[in-house]
Order: sequence, then structure tokens, then C-alpha cells
Amino acid sequence: MRVPLSWLREYVDIELSPEALAERLTLLGMEVKGIEQWGADWRSVVVGELLTVEKHPYADRLHLTTVTIGSGEPLHIVCGADNIAPGQRVPVALPGAVLPGDRRIERTEKMGIASEGMLCSGNELHITTDAEGILILPPEMPLGRQLSDLYGDAVLDVDVKPNRGDALCLIGLAREVAAATGAAIRWPKIEFEETGAPVTDFLKVDVRDTALCPRFVGRWVGGAKIGPSPDWVQMRLQAAGMRPVSNVVDASNYVMLELGKPTHTFNGAAVHDGTIIVRRALPGERLETLDHVVRELTPDTLIIADPRGPIGIAGVMGGAESEITGETTEIAIESAIFDPVSIRRTGHRYALRSEASLRFEKGQEFRLARIGADRVAQLTLAWAGGSMARGRIDTAPAEPEPARLAFRPRRVSGLLGDDVPAAEQRALLQRVGIETVEAATADRIQVAAEPKPLAVAAGEDGVLVAMVPTWRRDLAIEADVAEEVARVRGYETTPAHLPDTLMPAYRPSPLSVLDTIRQTLAGAGLTEVVTHALVSSQNDARLLWPEDSSEPQLLPELAAEAGDEIVVTNPLSAQHSVLRQHLAASLLDVLSFNERQGRADVAVFEIGKRYARVEDRPREWTRLALLLSGAAAPASWNRTARPYDLDDAKGIVELLCHRLGLPAPSYVADSRGFPFHPGRALAARSEGEEEALSARLAEMHPDVITRWDLRAQRVIMAELAIRGLDAAVPARVHVEPIPRFPEVERDLAVIVTENHTAAEVEATIRRHGGSLLRGLRLFDLYRGAPLAATEKSLAYRLILGARDRTLTEAEVDAAVAQVRTGLESDIGAYLRT
Amino acid sequence: MNFDSLSEDLRALQRRALDEVSAAPDPASLEQLQIAYLGKKGELTSVLRGIGALPAEDRPRVGAVANEVGEAVKAALADRGAELHAQVQVIRLAAEAVDVTLPGRTVARGTLHPIPETVAAIAEVFGQFGFVVYEGPEIEDDLTNFQMLNIPPDHPARDLWDTLYVDIPGHLLRTHTSPGQIRVMQETKPPIRALLPGRCFRYEAVDASHGFEFFQVEGLMVDEGTSMADLKGLLDEFAHALFGPRKTRFRPGYYPFTEPSVAFDVECVVCGGVGCPACSKTGWMTILGAGMVHPVVLQYGGIDPERYQGFAFGMGIERIANLRHAVPDVRYYLENDLRFLEQFR
Repeated sequence: MRVPLSWLREYVDIELSPEALAERLTLLGMEVKGIEQWGADWRSVVVGELLTVEKHPYADRLHLTTVTIGSGEPLHIVCGADNIAPGQRVPVALPGAVLPGDRRIERTEKMGIASEGMLCSGNELHITTDAEGILILPPEMPLGRQLSDLYGDAVLDVDVKPNRGDALCLIGLAREVAAATGAAIRWPKIEFEETGAPVTDFLKVDVRDTALCPRFVGRWVGGAKIGPSPDWVQMRLQAAGMRPVSNVVDASNYVMLELGKPTHTFNGAAVHDGTIIVRRALPGERLETLDHVVRELTPDTLIIADPRGPIGIAGVMGGAESEITGETTEIAIESAIFDPVSIRRTGHRYALRSEASLRFEKGQEFRLARIGADRVAQLTLAWAGGSMARGRIDTAPAEPEPARLAFRPRRVSGLLGDDVPAAEQRALLQRVGIETVEAATADRIQVAAEPKPLAVAAGEDGVLVAMVPTWRRDLAIEADVAEEVARVRGYETTPAHLPDTLMPAYRPSPLSVLDTIRQTLAGAGLTEVVTHALVSSQNDARLLWPEDSSEPQLLPELAAEAGDEIVVTNPLSAQHSVLRQHLAASLLDVLSFNERQGRADVAVFEIGKRYARVEDRPREWTRLALLLSGAAAPASWNRTARPYDLDDAKGIVELLCHRLGLPAPSYVADSRGFPFHPGRALAARSEGEEEALSARLAEMHPDVITRWDLRAQRVIMAELAIRGLDAAVPARVHVEPIPRFPEVERDLAVIVTENHTAAEVEATIRRHGGSLLRGLRLFDLYRGAPLAATEKSLAYRLILGARDRTLTEAEVDAAVAQVRTGLESDIGAYLRT
Repeated sequence: MNFDSLSEDLRALQRRALDEVSAAPDPASLEQLQIAYLGKKGELTSVLRGIGALPAEDRPRVGAVANEVGEAVKAALADRGAELHAQVQVIRLAAEAVDVTLPGRTVARGTLHPIPETVAAIAEVFGQFGFVVYEGPEIEDDLTNFQMLNIPPDHPARDLWDTLYVDIPGHLLRTHTSPGQIRVMQETKPPIRALLPGRCFRYEAVDASHGFEFFQVEGLMVDEGTSMADLKGLLDEFAHALFGPRKTRFRPGYYPFTEPSVAFDVECVVCGGVGCPACSKTGWMTILGAGMVHPVVLQYGGIDPERYQGFAFGMGIERIANLRHAVPDVRYYLENDLRFLEQFR
């Protein structure tokens, strides 16, 4: 809320500088987001007095004036306005002046006559809305003074929190200033004469839904003359960010800003039969609102109607037909209390949220209905004349007393963690208008309110009762009192104390395995990325990354169940409208983005979630994805470049298995094709006692590279599911004793036809190696002469040994012979010698 | 042949051998000299063959001379050998010299993203005070995201969270990590000290300080007598750990799920409290929101608010990371420009 300080001073004395006041309010919970210097954009605009006003010799609509600004020669200024006369004091923009909107004023010539500056209208200065006439200043304005010195103001931008609707007005903030400084607040004097006939002669009110409209106060002013409101009113409204409209509408807006009470003024003549009915809309009813949109009203909308039909949406916006216009003379004033929830829903339903509805939504003090009606009536009478009908219509004149809220000063101290004596608490509460009394036996302490009320008997001594002012709708439970005590005392006085109570039981951190993996991958040269979970709905169609369920090689318990895409029903853009079902497309986007920044070598990983709807329940799975493209080792003076290939991805998966204490992964080819290279894709899996990992690794199909418009020749990707990724401790290492007896190495070059995979050869060796085979490593792969074109040679180093003895030559030979026979019989392999 | 002439022969042999050894140009010629003089068929051996012709009493004397000669030649060979080895080594090492100022062979250097790294830093600090990490779902139900946090439907405070909804009835993308408070309280009993990091979503236009996806860390402590002073004590330690020794302050805030509610300010990390554009000239920067857990929230968590009290706090990871690393724009975090990410070491 914008708060012009000069206006605020009307209700409370302020001796602090705007900055100091801003800090005090902020520390009291009324956060000041900024201080604007109102009038800072009137530069070189001074007070002048018109000496002469004559017709322009060549242009009928212009005047020649001479103006004194108190010193120097009188200025000759050409002016187009008609409302000027000698002796008036007016704002003079001198040559070189700058007006709002960065408008520069220079010495000019108008129809052959020089003009040494400009006389300003209220509109040109953004002070009033009058663009026709020159702003006539009060005669006491000192000649030559800068207008910004006289009318300039500091305007605080106060962020009033949603629970403090009572402070969303000048009076409310004046109360807070008073609490901060100890000053007293001044209510405006609401006095006027009722010279008209009884209000009931003009107005009848029939509230048919008292739940949605608990109180309706009406007043009537007859014979008013619509016109602009006084300049000082327009100035205040402008400074507070509200556009002046007319005296009657301004009176309503002024009261809303002053007291926080939204009211509505109708053209009384347009209210049929002088009868206002407050009811829910009937099916099919329509209303043209003030913004000239015809709206279909739904039956849950509370409306203001006359016997012919709707004339306003209650608390949200009036109807066009009963709008105050220049011809209006009869003014019906509505000052009502509406159900906050109903107003909020209505505002949302019609996408119509106004300053008024925002205040209604937060709840209104009951007595404001009466005070607001009187104040608007008073100002209408003062600014638009006419006569006020006698009395007011009031559908619920009984006003509530302050509520009793019992609290335990000891409990308040306990919450704050500081001993605040009861007497001090009472004094602090008094500063925000909360009187306190000793508790009566019937008082119960409200620990929690709706929707789970909990009250305990005021059993112990020293229980006090806070008499909650009727405007403080936010104070309902004991903890609310604690907050009042704390904020008036100053939150900054809160002592710092480290908790010294019991610690919770040990719980493994879900971050620990995650961090192990992240560190490992960074160590392997990959850069971590974090991408959007919300992606384009086109993503899946573009990539066709397979469902886990279509992948029998993946570990079933790690596979995401088949599900549907989860769609955002109110997306910000099509680019971010669904929750992703895999991470792969996100990483392709990262590659594409960085390629466009000129990067060729990209190795990235992300640990993030994929999402799906399974049987109408949301599901989330944590996944690790990685992408490798460009050079694994870029060319350097001491090394030639080596591009990333599928083996790098496998190496990373093997590294992860190693780090997680998993056995080496097993690989199975995946030749399904798009989005994968049909000859360079695989599933990997590894299962340990606690952890397990399954992954899909592939070089991407060239068409994927085309679809993402990539420069890269090849893109390697992997997506991994890891059991224990979100919540586990890394597997413990169980040390094997260091072998006491020497191990023997034997190299075997296994020649086999191409249709047998390395995995098959290795499995065969292991199967036949027996217990003496303690290690196995592929160290060479050879094709070419003298082998047949259909053959390849895989060279393995076998490590043989036993725990309890040194193997004899004969034992080693026997073991190797067994492997050789097995290779021959199982896969038709023979050994190269 | 007599003793004198034989011993003279031996001395002559010694002189010649020593001359040749000292003139030997390389280890190979040294080895030949060794064979030529001291080998089985070497000169010393052949001279000694004449020893049999001497009278028996002279033989030991000749033997002694021969030994002396043999030792002298051996010693000369060894000295010259060492000398030559040193020479060869000097030459080899000289030939092997490199320009040591050339750059090294680059070791792969990956980097970690500042968002999870900041989460880790925060978890580390609070971990020291016994806070354990939990995670809650990103797709939440309205009940847990709002209602159990004391934000009923149609509550004006709902305006504080512009929400993205999904096509599963009653569900939405969590607007904050605070629903995790409910989940932790339902899952465990006091004493509770929990930390909940995670991704959040809001219907919010993207600019330098806002995104529709962002990250938060929530903290929760519940026990008998847990107070605002405990909250202040912990947050002071946290601010100290992440931003160094700085003044901090509490001021009132507003959240429906805490009462009293707190905004936690740290002395501006840019100007040190003097006042600058970064802190809107206030000298303070707000780094997180907090407060004492609202009794209704405790009740929804299955905890008796008459017996227990607690505090909660929630902070934006981007905000913390921005301040620590002087990142000017939150869009950097999800854009993944390597020129940004590779600056983190």
C-alpha cells in the first residue's frame, strides 16, 4: 500500500525521518519496501503570480500573460487555458524544467510570440486529473518556491500482510506508528448536519442472505452536484496511487484508503423504487459492470439488486447502469460487511479483483460499516453539496464488544525464549490498543482455533485475558498474543541460544549416496547440470525414449511403472507444460544450448526426477542421466584429441558400480533402433546385496542429432536407475585378506566367430575357470590376417591362484586346459598360439 | 727368470694398464681392458704363469706383488667406470631436458552445480546441530501443501503462493518445501530436527530474481520448550557459517503456518551494513523466513501443541547461492551454460 506521509500525519504525529519511520514500521512487521519521493519529477517548477492576462493577437484560443516569480523581470508566457486571471498563483515551469514523463520545457515561440516557460495544469504535474485548466494554487503559496518543496511528499510502500487487513489503511498504519513511537492517534471528526427527509423516504434495503451479508448500512444524499473533488483530495489520491474520478467517487475511495472500508455509491435515481436487495444471483441473470463488460452471473454470486434486477456485484464491482455520472444528483451510499470467502471466490470467478475486493477478502471490522457510511456521506456533502437524508439504514446495528483472549504470560515467555514479566507484557499489549485483565474462572485458553480447536482450562495462576480490539481479526489464539508481545517489544531483542535438548535418533542422509555419485562423476570429468522438471509436451514425441516397462533387461524393481504424462492444467507456457518422463531430452537441450554458445565438448550429468501418473496417483523416481559429446580429451600440445564413445559411458557405469560396491555390470545389446544407434546401444545391470543399478546406455541415433539440430557427430547418453539413490548408506567394504601365496598370470588369445559377444566369451571362461580363476581382464581385441574375415581374437589375462598354497605348474596347466576345452565345446572358440 | 725381472714385468704391466684404463673412452672399452688384463686369459694371468720357474722362497713375494698390481688395476677400472658412468649420465640427463614451463597434461575436471552444492553446504551446517535430511514429494496434494499448513481454501494468504496445478484431482506442484513439515511430523516423533531440501514450483513470470521452478530448504525442530531463542541461536550459526561473521536480526514476518512469524535478516553482504542498492539502502538482506510452528500445524502433524512447541524455517537456495557467489540472475541456474557452471570448482 502506498502511504503519503503528509496524509498519514493527519492521524498521528511523526517526528521521525521517512527512513527512520520506515525502519520502525519494518521492525514492527509492516515492511516498508521502498520510499518514493512524490514530486521528485517536478524540476524547476515554481510558484508564480499572474500579473496580466491578455488575448493573443494572432490566436483566439491563446493568452499572453506576464508572471512574476518574486524576483527578476516578469516572465512572458503564452498559455492556452481559460481559467486564468491576474492575481492568481499558479505553477510555472521555467525554461529547462522537466515535468513528469520526462517532458522538457524550453523557451519557445507560439504563433510569433516568445514564451518564457509554461503554466502547468494539474494533469501535467500528475497532481490532479484536470488537463483543461491551469492548476490554481492557494494564495498563501510563497512566490518563487519550488513546487516540490511545497507539495512534494515521501510516499512509503508498505507491504501489509494478508492477516492484517485492519492495517491496509491510513488509520491502521497510524495505529502502528503510534505503537512504535508512543504517539496518540487522531480519528477524523465525523460530523455533519442531516437536513433532508428521513432516509427511509428514499431507500429501502432488503438483505436476503445474511450469511453472505451480515450488515448493510445505507445513507442518502440528495441534490448533490457532481464535479471534480478539491485539488488537495486529488493530490492525496494520486500520491496514494489512485486515480481521481469525481467528488462522490473520490469520497468513497478516500474513505477506503483512510479507514480501510470499501463502500459503493449508486446513482440513487437508477435504483428502481429506491429498493436495494442483497441476494444471490438467479440463473441467467446478467449485469454490465462499471468496466462495461456484460457478465453472466452464477447463482453463487452475491449481488446488489433492485426490484428489476442486478445493479452490482457485491463487494467487487458496481453496475454501469447505476454509475455516478455528471448528471447524477441523488446518491445512495452502500457500506456493507460481506463474507470474505464469498467475495474472494467471486473476484476469482470473474477475474475481477479490485482494491475493494482485496479488503473485503481479508475481513472487515463490523462497526466500520456504520463509520464508513457516515464518513462517505460527510465527504460527499462537503465536496458535492446537497442535503443528507436523516438517519441511516442499518440491517444489524448491534456492534460486538472486544473478544476475550486468555493467555499465560509464562507460556508467551516460553515461546519467545526470553523471560518477559507479565507486567511488561501487559504494557506492551497496551501500546497496540490491547487492554488486559486478570482471567476469570470461566476463561479458557485457546491453544489452537479452527479447524482444529483446542482449549485448555485456565488452571494456573497469573493467567491474563487480552481484550482484543474489534479491528484485530487476526488475534485468535494464545500464540497470537505472543507475537504481539514480541513485535511491540522488538523481535531484534530475541536472545540467541543454541538448543540443548535431546537430539533425534540417527538417520542416514538421503544425500550421502547422492553426493558420492556426484563427486565421482565430477572427478571423472563430467559437469553437473540442473534442468527443468517441466518440459514441452513435444518432448516425448521428439525423442521416443523407451518406457522402462518395455525393457526386460532392466531390473524390474528399479523400473518405473508404466504411466501417463502428468499435465499442468494452468501452464505458464507450452514449453513447460508437462512433467518430464525421462531426463534425456533435457540433457540434449543442454547440449544444444551450449553448442550454440560455441562449445563442442560437452560432458554433463544430472540427478533429477522423472514423473508419471500411475492409476491416478502421482509417482516420482530419481534418476541419473549423463550425456557425452565431443572430445573426451581435447587435443593439446602433448596429446591428440579422442572423441567420446560408448566405452566411456560404460567406463563411467563401471566406475559407479565400483564406487557403490556393486559387482561389475553385465551388458546386453539393444538393437531396437531409434532413438538409439541400433548397433551401439545396450542395457546394463548390476545387483549387489543392498544396492542395485540398471541402466540404458547408447550412442544416439543420427536422426536424434538431426532433430535437435546438433553439430555433434555422435552423442552418447545413459539413464541410470540406482537402488539406494535416494535413501541409503553406501555399501560397507568387506576386506579380503591379501593372498599369502603368489598368483600366476596366463594370457589366452581366444579366436571366436563374430556372432559371439565379449560377454559370452568372458562368461564361458569364468564358467570353466573353476575356483582357481581369481581374475580376468580383456587386454586386446584383434581382427585381420591371419584370422578369417568372420573371426576376431580376444586376448584375456587370467589370474590364477589359491588361498592355501602355491599352485604347481601342472595345476595351472590343467586349469587353462579346462578353460580351453570349455571355450571349444561351448562356443567353438580356439586359442591362438 | 728371477724375482726382480718378473716383478719389473708386473710393474710395467701395471703402468701400462693404468694408462690404458685412464684413457678408456667408454664403458665398453673398459670392459675389454678388464678382460685383457684381469680375465682368465688376461695378461696378469699369463705373467703369473712364469711363477713356477722361480725358487720356492720367491714365489710368495711375487704373489704379493701380483696381488698389488691386480688390486691397483681393479681399483683403476672401478674409478674410471664410475667416472665414465657419471659422464654418460650427465649427457643423458642433459639430452632429456624439457621446457618445464610448458603446460601440464590436463586431468578431466568436472564441476558440481551450485544448487546441490549449496544444499550440501546448508545440510552440513545444520547436520552439526543434529538436523537429519528428509525428502518430500514434488507433486503434493492440496491438503498437505496448504490446508494442513493452516491455509484453508479461499484464504487470502493463498495469494502468496501462485500455484501450478496438475491433471490429478487434488494435486498440485508443491509451492514450497513446507508440506515436508507435516510429513516429517507424521513419520516421526519429537525430538524432531529435520531438514527438507527440494524443488518447488510457482506460477510466476521469469525474471532475474524469480523462476517458476526453484529450490528451497525447509528446517523443522520440535521438542518440549523449543523457543524462538533457539531459532535465533541456530540461524546465527548458520549465517556465520555461510556468510562469515555478520550482524543478524529478527523482524516480524507473516506465514499462516507459523506464529509468531519471523523474517531473518543478515547484514548486507555487499556493503557490510552501510546501505547500498543491493540492500535497498537498508544495510540488511533478508535471507529466510521462519517462525514458531503454528499449533494447528502441530496438530495435523499428530503432535500435542500443549506439550510441544517448535520452529520452522524455509529459505530459497538460489537466494543463498546468489549471495555467496555473487550470481546476478537466477536464470543462470537452470540455463546450464557451461561458461557459468565451470566457474564452480
